[in-house]
Amino acid sequence: MKGKSGGKDFCGFALPGMFCFFAVVILPFVYGVYLTLTDWNGVSSVKNFVGGANFLSVLKDSQFWTSLLLTFKYVIFVVIIVNIMAFAIAYLLTRGIKGQNFFRAGFFTPNLIGGLVLGYIWQFVFSRVFVGIGEATGWSLFEASWLSDPNLAFAALVLVSVWQLSGYMILIYVAGFMGLSQDVMEAASIDGATGWVKLRSIILPLMMSSITICLFLTLSRAFMVYDVNLSLTAGAPYGTTEMAAMHVYEKAFTSRQFGVGQAEALILFVIVAIISGIQVYLTKRQEVEA
Amino acid sequence: MKKTRLTRLIAVGVLSALIASAVTGCRFGFASDPDDPNEVEVAEPIDTSVDTFQYDPSLSGTTITLLNSKAEIQNALVEMGAEYEKKSGVHVEVMPVTDGDSPYTKVVSLYNSGNPPTMSILDTTDVIALAEEKAADLSDEPWLAEAEGYLTEINGKVYSFPLCIEGRGLIYNQTVIETALGEPFDPSSIRTLDDFVALLDRLVAAGIEKPVSMAKEDWSLGAHHLQYVYETYDGTSDGAAEIINEIKDGSLDLTTYDRMSQFLDMFDVLMAYNVARADPLGADYDEMAIDLVDGKTAIWFNGNWAWPNLADADAEETDQYGFLPYFMNNDPDDFVNFQIQASPSKQVMLDGVVATDKQLAAAKEFLNWIVYSEIGQQMLVKTCNIIPPFQNNPYEPADPLSRDIYNHVHDGTAFNASAIVPNDHWAILGAAMQKYLAGRSDRTELIASIEDYWAQQQ
Amino acid sequence: MNNSSIGGTRRKVTNGLAMAGLIIIFIAYMFPFIMVVINSLKEKRDIIKSPFSWLFTIKGLSFDNFVKAFTQMDFLNAFKNSLIVTVSSTVLVTLLAAMLAYYIVRHNNKISKITFALMVASMIIPFQAIMIPLVSIYGGTLNVLNHRITLIFMHTGFSMAMSVFMFHGFIKGNIPIALEEAAYIDGCTHRQTFFKIVFPLLKPIIATMVILNSLAFWNDYLLPSLVLTDKELLTLPLSTYSFYGTYSADYGTIMAGLLLCVIPILILYVVLQKQIIGGVVSGAVK
Repeated sequence: MKGKSGGKDFCGFALPGMFCFFAVVILPFVYGVYLTLTDWNGVSSVKNFVGGANFLSVLKDSQFWTSLLLTFKYVIFVVIIVNIMAFAIAYLLTRGIKGQNFFRAGFFTPNLIGGLVLGYIWQFVFSRVFVGIGEATGWSLFEASWLSDPNLAFAALVLVSVWQLSGYMILIYVAGFMGLSQDVMEAASIDGATGWVKLRSIILPLMMSSITICLFLTLSRAFMVYDVNLSLTAGAPYGTTEMAAMHVYEKAFTSRQFGVGQAEALILFVIVAIISGIQVYLTKRQEVEA
Repeated sequence: MKKTRLTRLIAVGVLSALIASAVTGCRFGFASDPDDPNEVEVAEPIDTSVDTFQYDPSLSGTTITLLNSKAEIQNALVEMGAEYEKKSGVHVEVMPVTDGDSPYTKVVSLYNSGNPPTMSILDTTDVIALAEEKAADLSDEPWLAEAEGYLTEINGKVYSFPLCIEGRGLIYNQTVIETALGEPFDPSSIRTLDDFVALLDRLVAAGIEKPVSMAKEDWSLGAHHLQYVYETYDGTSDGAAEIINEIKDGSLDLTTYDRMSQFLDMFDVLMAYNVARADPLGADYDEMAIDLVDGKTAIWFNGNWAWPNLADADAEETDQYGFLPYFMNNDPDDFVNFQIQASPSKQVMLDGVVATDKQLAAAKEFLNWIVYSEIGQQMLVKTCNIIPPFQNNPYEPADPLSRDIYNHVHDGTAFNASAIVPNDHWAILGAAMQKYLAGRSDRTELIASIEDYWAQQQ
Repeated sequence: MNNSSIGGTRRKVTNGLAMAGLIIIFIAYMFPFIMVVINSLKEKRDIIKSPFSWLFTIKGLSFDNFVKAFTQMDFLNAFKNSLIVTVSSTVLVTLLAAMLAYYIVRHNNKISKITFALMVASMIIPFQAIMIPLVSIYGGTLNVLNHRITLIFMHTGFSMAMSVFMFHGFIKGNIPIALEEAAYIDGCTHRQTFFKIVFPLLKPIIATMVILNSLAFWNDYLLPSLVLTDKELLTLPLSTYSFYGTYSADYGTIMAGLLLCVIPILILYVVLQKQIIGGVVSGAVK
C-alpha cells in the first residue's frame, strides 16, 4: 500500500476517523487545558487569566495527593489480578471444553450491570451476605460489613473492579486466543511442548498484542475508576476510599472549584499517560508479527 | 409417554399463566395477599370545576422548560404542566435531573450548552451560587406576600420561588410505642433529653432492644444532624448565618460553644440506642424504614421526605407517625426541645439570561398559577404531596409525616432556620461525622475537623 | 509408555481441577446477575428484607416491576432511539476505525505515529475533564445539541481511539502483508484490497469491537444526558430516571428496567459469539 497514492489513501482511509476523533476528543481537551489557566467557575460569563494559580491550589490540596496514592495502590492490585484471571479464564474457554459458549455468556454478564444497581447489589453482598456468613461461621473477617472498615472497603473496591473489568478483558483475550493459528498450537504440541513451556515460549509471545491492549485498558480504567467508586463506597467510610477521579469530580462540582478540579484532572491525565506510555512501550517490544 | 405428556401439559399451563400475568400486569402469589391486588395508586382527585385565575392569552403557544431536581415529583410535575397547558396554552416541558447528576452540575452544563431551562428547581445553596449571574429578579412578584418568612434574599433581592417546606427530626411510630408502653403516648410529654432517654429505656425494657435507627449516609450526618449546631443558635436562618460567620472568622470557639456539646450529647444518645450499634456504618437506609414500620425500632432520625420509603415498607396513610424534636439539653423551655426544624428546601429559579420576554412572562404566570389558582393550589399539595409555604393555600398534605410537619408549622411548634453552608459541607463534614459515629474519633477530633473546614472557607 | 500414562493421569487431574475452579469462579461471576433477575420479580419490601428468598416464598412472583418499567420508560420509543443511535454509531466507528487502523499499520509515517500516540494518550482522559468544554463547544458555540446525529458523531469520536487501538493490534499481529501484496499483483486497488481481502479477515476483532462498542453505546448514560434533553429522543438508560428518587430508589423497577435494557445486548452477544468462532483466521495463510 506504499507508493504514489499515499495522499489518496490518507483521505480515503485515515481522514474520516481522524476528523471524528479530533473534533470530539482533542478539541474539547485543549479547551479544557486552557480553562485550567483561568478563574472560570463553570458559570460566570467572564474568564480571567490566572496563570498557574489553579495548579498551586492543587499542590495545597492534600486530599488529592492522598487519593492519588490510594489510586496507585488500587491500580497495582486491580491490574495484576484482572489480567491473570482474565487470561486464565479465556484460555480455558478457548480449549473446547463442554458448554464453553454458555460459560462465555456468563462471564460476559458483569458488563451488563452498571450504575446504581451495581452499587446496590454489591453493597448488599458485603453488608448482608458476608455478614450472614460471618454469623454462621464466626469468622471475624465477616463479622461486620466490609464497607464500614477502611481496609476492607478498599478490598471490596478491588474485588468488584476485578469482577467487572475481567469480564471485559476475557472478551479481548478470547478474541486473541481465537486469532491464534490452530496450526501453531498443534505444531507446538507435536514438537512435544507441554504446559509451562508451551505457555511461555509459544502462547505468551503470540498473545502479546492482546496482553498489551488488556494491560493498557486495565491500567487506564483502574486509574480513572469513578462509577464503581461512587456507587459502591462513595468514599465511605469517612472519606478513606475516595480515589483520584472521584476527588477531581467532587472538587469541580461539589466543592465548586472548577479550575482546580480541571487542573487536577490534567495532572491525573499526565501521570496516567506517562505510566501507560511506559507500559505500552515495554510490552509492544515483546510483540511478534505473524 | 403419559408422563411426558403430563409434563408438557404442566409446562404449557405454567407458561400461559406467566404470559397472562405479564400481559395483564397481574400478580399471582402462592401466599395469599388480600390487601395488595395490584396496588393501583389512586391519586387524590383534583377538582377543576372552579378556576378564577386570570390567564394572559398572549402567552398561549409559548414553550417553557422546567428542570426538576426533586425526582419523586417528576410525574406529578408533568401532570401539573399538562393541566396548566390546558388552561393557558403554555407548554411546560419538565426535564429531570437524572441519576448520577447533581442538579448544579446539570444546570451548569445546560448553561454551557446555551440551552438553559426557563425554570430550575434547585437547592438554596445552588440558587445563591447562580442567582446574581443568571437568574431573573422576582422581587416584584405578588406571591412574595404569601410566602413571608420563607423567602431567600440575596443582597436585598429575591431570585427564587420557595416550592416546599421540609422538616426533620425523630420520626416515631406511635402504635409501636403505645404497644410497648401499654399506654397512650403523647409526644409533647417529652420535653428534655432526660425525658427522651427515659422513654428509650422504657422501650428497651419493653423488649425493643435498640429502638433507634440512624442513617450512616454522609448527607444525613453532615447536613441533617450536624447543621443543628448552626440552626439552633436562635432558631432563625439569620442566626445560623451569624454563628457560621463567627466560626469562620475564629471569634467563636466550638470547643466551648454550648450548642456544639449539646448536639453531641444528643448524638451520643442516638448512637447508644442505635439498632446498628455493632456496625453503625453498615446500616442500610431502606431497611430502617422497614424496621420502623415493623416495630423492630420505634424511632428513625429523618425528614418528611421519608414517607415514600415508609409507604414502600407497607405503612398506610392512616397509620400514626410523627416527629419528636432533636432534644439537646434538659431545659424544657429551650425551643429546641419542643420545636421541630422546618424550612423551605427546594427553590425555583428563573433564567434571566437566555429566556425571551414571553418565556419569562409565562414562567412567572406558571408560578402565580401554583400560588393563586384553585387548581394549582390543589395540585401542589395533592398531586406533588408537598407542604406549601404559601399562607393562602388551604389544602393539607395527606401523608402522616408531612401532616405532622404541617401541624407543627401552623401551631407554632416549628422553627424555620436553614443554615446556608458551602456545597461540600455535607460531604466533607459528613465523613468526619461518620468517623465519630464509627467510634474512630472523639469529640476533640470531630470539632477540630469542623473548625479546619471552616478555616479553609475564607 | 509408562511415562505417557502418568502424564495422562496428571493431565486429567489438572483438567478436572481447572474445570472445578472455572465453575466456582463462574458462579461468583454470575451471582450478581442472578440476584438482579430474582429480585426484579419481587416488590421493594421483599427485596430489602429477604433478597435471597426464592420467588414463591414471600408474596409471590410478580411481573408488576416489568410492566411498570415498560410503561414508565416509554419503552418502545426509547428502544427505537437507542437502536438508531447504537447501530449507526457502531457501524460508523467499526468502519472508520478499521480503515484508520489499517492506514496507520501500513503507513509508518509521521501522521500515523502522531495520531496513534494521541489516540493512545486520549484513552486516559477522564471524561469529566472534557465534559464541560464539550458542551460549551457543541452547545454554546455550534448549537447542535439535542440531535441524534450529534450523539452518533460524538459516540464515534469517543470510541475511535480505543477501536483503532484494538484494530491496530490485531492487524499488526494477525494480518500477513503477503496476502495484500498478492492482491496488488492481481491488480486490485487499495480500496478493493481492503474491503475484499483485509476486512473479512478482521472478523474476530470486528465481532469483539461490535460487542464492546454497542454495549458501551447502549448503556451509556453520561454523554447522552449531556447531548439529549428532548423527551422524544431519550435513550433507554436515560428513560429510567423516574425510578430514582432523591432519598429512595425503586429497586424492583430499576432491576426490571435494567433487564429490559440489557436483553438486546445479550442476544447480540450470543449471536456474535458464533461469528467470533466462525471467523477464526486459521487456514488463511497456507
